[in-house]
Amino acid sequence: MLLQLNHIYKWVKQGGKRVFLLNDISLDVEEGEFISIMGPSGSGKSTLLNVIGMLDEFQEGEYIFDGEPVHSLKEKQRSKLYKEYIGFVFQAYHLIDELTVYENIETPLLYKNIKSSERKALVADMLDRFNIVGKKDLFPAQLSGGQQQLVGIARALIAKPKLILADEPTGNLNSKQGEEIMELFKELNAEGVTIIQATHSESNAAYGNRIIHLLDGSKQLQP
Amino acid sequence: MLKNYIKIAWRNLVKNKLSGFITIGGLAVGLTACTQILFYVAHERSYDSFHTDSDRIYAVEAQVNMGGDSIYMNSMNATVGELTENASPAVSSSLRLKEEYKPVIITNTSQPGTRFSEKDFSYADANFFDFFSFKLKNGNTATVLSKPYSLVLSEDMAKKYFGNQNPIGETLSVRKDSTYLFTVTGVMENTPSNSSLHPDFLASLSSMPTMKEFERDFDSEVFRLGAFPTYLKLTNPTAKNAVENTMQKLSIQGNAEASDVYSLSLLTDKHLNGRDASNTRYIRIFPLIAVLILLLALVNYLSLSTARATLRSKEIGVRKVNGASRKSVAFQFYVESTLYVIFAFLLSVALSVVLNPWFFSLLDIEIDASFFLNKNFLLILTCLLGFTVLATGFYPALVMSAFNPVENLRSSRASKMGEERLRKVCTTVQFVIAIALLISGIIIHQQLDYVRGVDTGLNRSDVVMVTLQNTMGTNSTPFRNEIEKLSQVTSTAVAQYPIYKGYNMFFASSEQVPDATGLPIFSVDDDFFKTLGVTWETKPDDENFYSKSDPVIINEAAISKFKLGPNPIGESLLFGNSKREIVGVVKDFHFENLDAPINAVALFVNSKTKATTNILGKSGGCLFVRFQPESDVPQLLSKMETIYTQYDSATPFEYQFLDDAFDTMFRSEERLSHVFNLFIILAMLIAGMGLFALATFSAQQRMKELGVRKVLGASVLQLTTLLSFDFLKLILLAILIASPLAWYFMHEWLQDFNYKTTIHWWVFLGAGAGALVLAILTVSFQAIKAALANPVKSLRTE
Repeated sequence: MLLQLNHIYKWVKQGGKRVFLLNDISLDVEEGEFISIMGPSGSGKSTLLNVIGMLDEFQEGEYIFDGEPVHSLKEKQRSKLYKEYIGFVFQAYHLIDELTVYENIETPLLYKNIKSSERKALVADMLDRFNIVGKKDLFPAQLSGGQQQLVGIARALIAKPKLILADEPTGNLNSKQGEEIMELFKELNAEGVTIIQATHSESNAAYGNRIIHLLDGSKQLQP
Repeated sequence: MLKNYIKIAWRNLVKNKLSGFITIGGLAVGLTACTQILFYVAHERSYDSFHTDSDRIYAVEAQVNMGGDSIYMNSMNATVGELTENASPAVSSSLRLKEEYKPVIITNTSQPGTRFSEKDFSYADANFFDFFSFKLKNGNTATVLSKPYSLVLSEDMAKKYFGNQNPIGETLSVRKDSTYLFTVTGVMENTPSNSSLHPDFLASLSSMPTMKEFERDFDSEVFRLGAFPTYLKLTNPTAKNAVENTMQKLSIQGNAEASDVYSLSLLTDKHLNGRDASNTRYIRIFPLIAVLILLLALVNYLSLSTARATLRSKEIGVRKVNGASRKSVAFQFYVESTLYVIFAFLLSVALSVVLNPWFFSLLDIEIDASFFLNKNFLLILTCLLGFTVLATGFYPALVMSAFNPVENLRSSRASKMGEERLRKVCTTVQFVIAIALLISGIIIHQQLDYVRGVDTGLNRSDVVMVTLQNTMGTNSTPFRNEIEKLSQVTSTAVAQYPIYKGYNMFFASSEQVPDATGLPIFSVDDDFFKTLGVTWETKPDDENFYSKSDPVIINEAAISKFKLGPNPIGESLLFGNSKREIVGVVKDFHFENLDAPINAVALFVNSKTKATTNILGKSGGCLFVRFQPESDVPQLLSKMETIYTQYDSATPFEYQFLDDAFDTMFRSEERLSHVFNLFIILAMLIAGMGLFALATFSAQQRMKELGVRKVLGASVLQLTTLLSFDFLKLILLAILIASPLAWYFMHEWLQDFNYKTTIHWWVFLGAGAGALVLAILTVSFQAIKAALANPVKSLRTE
């Protein structure tokens, strides 16, 4: 078992009333799974991903990641945990505009204090694997959306995470680029990386081996 | 890691050129102003500290009671140094250094054409170069001044008199009342600019006993006042009190009734705490202004970097998600800040080097360029750099590292209320400083104008003062006659000294005030009153009053000082044994600094012929020449010079305008005014740049809002007003805060003046309006640009 959510509640107060963003979510994820979270805008997909990614807090419930009780960890220990095991991929790619492709991919390694020579080797592997060696000195603004997302994925993978969280990874891409990215996820999953993606699209969701439907912060039964 | 941070800082800088330029440029300008002032202040404070033993070199002073006034004297009898040295083991050596108080005429005997009038001629004991740390370029430290009629020249003087020739062994003739021949035995390096002693010519003091003019100075061996400024070097600074006591005992031994109080004052204190503080009067204000300007630049930096932070929020979010801790983000921004500060610092060093000569000529200060490498100054600079790095990096690092990644990544982050408020405070503070400086600058300027225009009881315009040396001799009468014949000249007058430059002090008493009381004396001729526009209170009945034996004319202040009757004509004043009858009273006129109330003065009036031969010719005096208001002055001066050289070729022609002489008394105020002018410009520049950048930023941030408003039908004018008004509110607030502050400080400053201008309400209004116009110009540029932009674009990018 990679992670386990037990009765997670997250709410904000609006005019004295609780508005639930996550309402009693429980979820078990095994290593090697590829899960798609579906639901309309505002259903809580991103919030759920952020909670799983430990970027966001929740008010009630338990979260156990790799045997560690995340809900009772301190901020510092939590960030250590997600740095070690989780990679993020975003709809808007979120590359650093002032850094080149190479430097963007390298960034997570810098924060892990990995030696320069080793960093070089790791980044070179990644560039090679995604076939973007020729683009390593370009800045994000010089790339197409699909290429930017490739870099985003490369960056998420570089630190060898156990889990990849992807929030609408193809939302800003055309269908052909989107398909390529999904194929890539499938390959990665086949190599043993656990993936949780949030998506609008039925066809993208179908790449996963399990689909979770969310509506207004609650898990829905399969329609 | 560090490389990565520096790289991204650099790329950010290149990407946002304008805001980067304003951030760094503003800081650089502030730092430049600050270093220039620190440079000046450090220099002023370093006076005489280059002497190896500067902490134990003292000048001997005596406090003397004269007619009720306590006066400090620094000239001692020739034996004082030696006597003290013998009596106290704490004195390791002593030195006498006597300056000529009048210029001497020096001629290179082998080239009689090389002749100049020299002011800085001194006599020193043989141990001069051992006692002080002045360096000899040529000659033996121990022996250069040991023989009578030896002379050491400064480098500049060696060049002036001998060109590239070696001056050692050459002879210079020095003309005083008599002429003496001195042999050049050494050349010393030019004295540093932070030396309070700067002899150009240094003669052996052992020459003096055989010089007629000084014979009498060696008559007495008693410990008392005399003619020689005397310096002592103590073995240890703590011995100061003991040595002072010894001197007091020696004084009593010499004369049991002596009441003079002897003391030692550190040579290094002489410049800043000396009796003549006019040069250094505002030395304490300058650092304050420097701090204000630096503060302005720092505030500017701070406000711009929080603005920039908002643009960087995405990057920070990405970094955090990719594993950056708060610490590493803070560190990154510290690195970035440090890099910017170093850029600003380098830029400011470059600016300093370029602007330094201009700045100091503006302030009328000369400082050796080598002082830039002075240890203390470099230390101050390093501290300044360190402080700036700490101050500028602290806030951005703290704020940015606290950004929450989820919030930042969701959408482009809007400024938090707190930061918004901080930026508002920053802008207000900047403009408070700028406006307060502006108001103060205007008031200082008004005060200077006011003082220059004060009726001082003399008609100062169109009068030139020509100083004559005794080399004029009997030629003074034909000289004066020819000057008077010039068509532009309306009248001339004679006095012993130029006005504002000095007077003789006599001791006088009246029946009502029998104690001898100090009274300034002017020895003049009868044209003095007419030529200088002195007005009579009571004019003597007899036109030729001066032909009477020893009459005296006094001013109104003298009446009260000597408690004379309301009409004192016929009463008399006693000067020692000679009694002088008061024949006339003049209205008070200023003859010293305006800060002091007008002192009593007595005028000894001579007939024109007698004054011309005796005062002007024999002893050397001052000829006042009043010319017609519209005269061609350069032409007049050259005519006067021609006449002058015809009658006295030994001494160069020297003159000064009376109103210039008056103005030099306000040198320190003038300097202050220049500094203010400069800093008003700087403050406005920095504040304006900051405002411009903030307006740009604010327009960027509100792009979407503006787009929506425009789609809904808002006009360009309405949008411009909307954007500008936010800023203009702050400027109005700044005016409200700055006005009373400036009023208070200027009011305090004016208290130091005897004559003070009134502070007008329109100064505040004008300064406020000026700042407002500046603000409107900077803000509306951005606002109009934003208002004109196509709304479709801004709405799409959201």
